[in-house]
Amino acid sequence: MSDKHNEQAVQTTGHAWDGDLQEFNNPLPRWWVWAFYASVAFAVIYWILYPVWPVGRDYTKGVLKVSYESNGKTVTSHWNTRAVYIEDMQKGEEALKQKAYLDKVAKASFAQILSDPEMMAFVRSIGKGLFGDNCAACHGQGASGVIGKFPNLVDDSWLWGGSVEDIHRTIRDGHAGFMPAFRETLNEEELEQVASYVLSLSGHKVDPAKAEAGSKIFNGQKGGCHYCHTHQAKGMKSVGSANLTDAVWTIADVPDAPDLKGKLAAVEQVIRNGVQRRMPAWRDRLTPEQIKLLAVYVHELGGGK
Amino acid sequence: MAHGSSVAVEQYNYDIVKKFAIMALVWGVFGMSVGTWIASELAFPVLNFDIPQITFGRFRPVHTTSVIFGFGGNALFATSYYVVQRTCQTRLYGDLLPKFTFWGWQLALLLGVVGYMNGVTQAREYAEFEWPVDLLITVVWVAYAVVFVQTLRRRSQPHIYVANWFYMAFILATALLHIFNNLAVPVDLFSTKSYSLFSGVQDAMTQWWYGHNAVGFFLTAAFLGMMYYFVPKQAGRPIYSYRLSIVHFWALSFMYMWVGAHHLHWTALPDWTSSLAATFSIMLLMPSWGGMINGIMTLSGAWDKLRSDPIMLFLIASLSFYGMSTFEGPLMSLKSVNALSHYTDWTVGHVHSGALGWVALVSFGSMYHMIPRLYDTKLWSQRLVYAHFWLATIGIVLYITSMWVSGIGQGLMLRAFDDFGNLAYTFIETVTFMHWPLVARALGGAFFVSGILVMVFNITMTIRTARQEQAAIEAKIAAKLARAGA
Repeated sequence: MSDKHNEQAVQTTGHAWDGDLQEFNNPLPRWWVWAFYASVAFAVIYWILYPVWPVGRDYTKGVLKVSYESNGKTVTSHWNTRAVYIEDMQKGEEALKQKAYLDKVAKASFAQILSDPEMMAFVRSIGKGLFGDNCAACHGQGASGVIGKFPNLVDDSWLWGGSVEDIHRTIRDGHAGFMPAFRETLNEEELEQVASYVLSLSGHKVDPAKAEAGSKIFNGQKGGCHYCHTHQAKGMKSVGSANLTDAVWTIADVPDAPDLKGKLAAVEQVIRNGVQRRMPAWRDRLTPEQIKLLAVYVHELGGGK
Repeated sequence: MAHGSSVAVEQYNYDIVKKFAIMALVWGVFGMSVGTWIASELAFPVLNFDIPQITFGRFRPVHTTSVIFGFGGNALFATSYYVVQRTCQTRLYGDLLPKFTFWGWQLALLLGVVGYMNGVTQAREYAEFEWPVDLLITVVWVAYAVVFVQTLRRRSQPHIYVANWFYMAFILATALLHIFNNLAVPVDLFSTKSYSLFSGVQDAMTQWWYGHNAVGFFLTAAFLGMMYYFVPKQAGRPIYSYRLSIVHFWALSFMYMWVGAHHLHWTALPDWTSSLAATFSIMLLMPSWGGMINGIMTLSGAWDKLRSDPIMLFLIASLSFYGMSTFEGPLMSLKSVNALSHYTDWTVGHVHSGALGWVALVSFGSMYHMIPRLYDTKLWSQRLVYAHFWLATIGIVLYITSMWVSGIGQGLMLRAFDDFGNLAYTFIETVTFMHWPLVARALGGAFFVSGILVMVFNITMTIRTARQEQAAIEAKIAAKLARAGA
């Protein structure tokens, strides 16, 4: 065995601890030493190329340079991560590809974008990410919303208007959805009457006497519902009031209630407590191009008008 | 001691070693179980059960503290007290002081863990203890240093064995790190809340200077000390190279202190700081490997032991994982690699290949060697050691590979572009992708926990057998004495 030979050739240090604990005095493995030198050489090359060593209140800058455009002038600096980021966003292959489309979209009107298959393909591509990272947290991955909380964006019912311009305004400036609470104004009997009338508007079979009484409250001074929802109960997009005749429910979970009693209770609940919802304004978080693209993307989800 | 009347004081203080060894296992089972639980929470968030105390954010420091300082720390106390006594051929210094280190350390751990679950934390990674516990730890650590150094000074051997250098470096560096990282001002004397003395990027830098050197000196140097005693002992062969041990000891100690900033690439930290750390990380590779080479080459000529000795399997596997993680680490410390790996599960996988593969396996192997000797008996079952080895190894492999898939996969998805130059994936899509790797990771953790449970059973039986043997011997002696008396 080569090992026996080894043991004879290599001496131990001559010390022994705890009985049999000894140390050979083998030399450092050659490859280990050379690999260490190589790692030092790597480090030294790195030190020459990049900023590394602190010197007084300054530091060595390295020989690598980065240049980028700033205010129409070309700025050249030593390698640093901030400059590398700016350079990549200005000159990177993907960034340039994206920028070509962004420029094109920025100049186009909504109508032009909507009628151009190539621009629309771009909208769908970038919109998926913009929507997924910014809107989906509330409206859901599939944009179908959550009843009672966040509106469904794939149907064709729009509280604040469904044209691409309306959607654009909604995203840019946000909205405060508000309906007053009627728990102080209407008693339980009246609440049931108004709820009966509201359900009758979308074709539910309710007690006609109650619906008739409810209509009086809805369209009169007592409830004053018509101020926002209108006498026809079609709603107004200027104040975000709901159309009550289309059987689309965004707050009261009428479709999931098993019977008339449940449906009435769901509507009464909304009238009793009112509504306070907020869609945040995105103008400070997204760029104008991003908002424009998102508006088209949301418009195209299925329900745009 | 019933039978110790002839020897007033036993040659070595094994009682304290036993205490620490057992608590290492207790904290190990607890910490690893909590780890498996939080891993499962990430795969199935419903497991939070809306109980604040067991949600991921609170339970994670419970896991890291229990495994690093509970399992790892107690294993280091146990083995360092064992090794320093045996290699210096002298009894451990003091009697109350080592006991104080034991009870003080357990109390600090307990206070920390209960505190975290109830929201008491200074939110510094691996140093979440609030200031009262930090003070307790400081006192315990000074006591530990005194016990260790005084024992070394009383040695009846002219030379200090290499394992002790590593333990010494660990004790000194940990003291330094602990004190500077925890400089904080309490809100008032009766409040558990405190604020760091540092702010902004300097605070981040201090935290990672601490964080990485905790890895370097607590989880690497100290366990190398363990390795330097238990590998040659178990192999029954001399350490491969004394020279290598000196060179890599000093190189490792010198290099490690510089590298913490590689945790802060692409942040507000100045570029020069993190580049400097990256280059020292590269230069750290070979010094780290020095320990692996010395350990593995010690076995050369006795490779057949791997077929017959499951403890050797633990020790050699631990060195292999050590070599792998210390290669992976410098790789990840390069900015370009880090841009992909940082904030992904790759980091988590890397830490665990070191923590499970190196730290835990070398501790298991060492304790399988040490505990029967403490109780003057043999291991109850060799086959269960094999069972533990394979459960642990399967667990580690599952863990690391699933985290590579999850981490590298997410990293690639986050930087993927489509034909329009747009990002191809939303953030949530990358999270959805991680689900199955996270499930596999939790399964890997479960394997690892079942391994340590097998160990606990085996060790319990070993100690019980030892006690029975002891009782039988004492009965015999008593009978003899009675006969002699009559």
